[in-house]
Amino acid sequence: MPKYQFMIDIQYKSNVRDPRGETIKRVLNEEYQIPVTLLRLGKSIRIEVEAENEEEALKMVHAACERILVNTVTETYEVRRI
Amino acid sequence: MSCPRAQVVVYPGSNCDRDALWALKYVGFDTEFIDVRSKINADLVVLPGGFSYGDYLRVGAVAAREPIANEIRQFVENGGFVIGICNGFQILLEMELLSGALLQNSSGRFICKIVELEVVDNSNPFTRYFLKGERIRLPIAHGFGRYVKTEDVNVVLRYTSDVNGSDEQIAGISNFRGNIFGLMPHPERAVEKNLGSDDGLRVFLSIYNFLRGN
Repeated sequence: MPKYQFMIDIQYKSNVRDPRGETIKRVLNEEYQIPVTLLRLGKSIRIEVEAENEEEALKMVHAACERILVNTVTETYEVRRI
Repeated sequence: MSCPRAQVVVYPGSNCDRDALWALKYVGFDTEFIDVRSKINADLVVLPGGFSYGDYLRVGAVAAREPIANEIRQFVENGGFVIGICNGFQILLEMELLSGALLQNSSGRFICKIVELEVVDNSNPFTRYFLKGERIRLPIAHGFGRYVKTEDVNVVLRYTSDVNGSDEQIAGISNFRGNIFGLMPHPERAVEKNLGSDDGLRVFLSIYNFLRGN
């Protein structure tokens, strides 16, 4: 069965505070004088699944996101094929 | 009547399980450790603090999806009592037995100290030995204790100052039925004066005597 790889990009929802991102942004602003106006630290997951076709593979990845990988209360996610 | 029975779930990475067991024994519970594949046979189940599965994905996320989670769901549906302390609270939220989320402290730092709390609700079986509005002192030790409120909840404990950026300074909540209690502070680490506070003792005494029908 063919294998399909995807990248899952997980970010906090825009109304959720992100102290790690804020700290990194502050360092870039203050220590390096780089005028960063937005920095949000999310996470990315590289994932590979075996499936009949890409559509099935994508379904599996979305199921994984909804069941455990993403907390949809505070996070959003996007999946792209790589 | 027979002695109330408490089981403490030991997840890989739990580190407050022994403290919890000690506190439960101290007030008179018949106690036992169980693991993620055990069956529940108790009046009270304790989800202890720690770093279950390293908290790698999200705090409590993996622990909330182990076989014991289904046991816990069934147990609370039948009216069983569950207390989740620190990582245990995070697990209860990931299981969606309580609503909201616990995210990184607003300071970005791990905070380990004794804090002052206000008892907002003393009608709960876990807090009935406190006065409403009473100020108590309990230790906290967490990096991810900022409570984000997503719907109306029954607030049981509030920090008296802004400790970690929690919405409405919420430190502990229960479901409206009152049999599920989750809190970030550690009552099990505050059961003797020489630990800095013995205010946590009353949490265990409250539920112990409630279960005994006193």
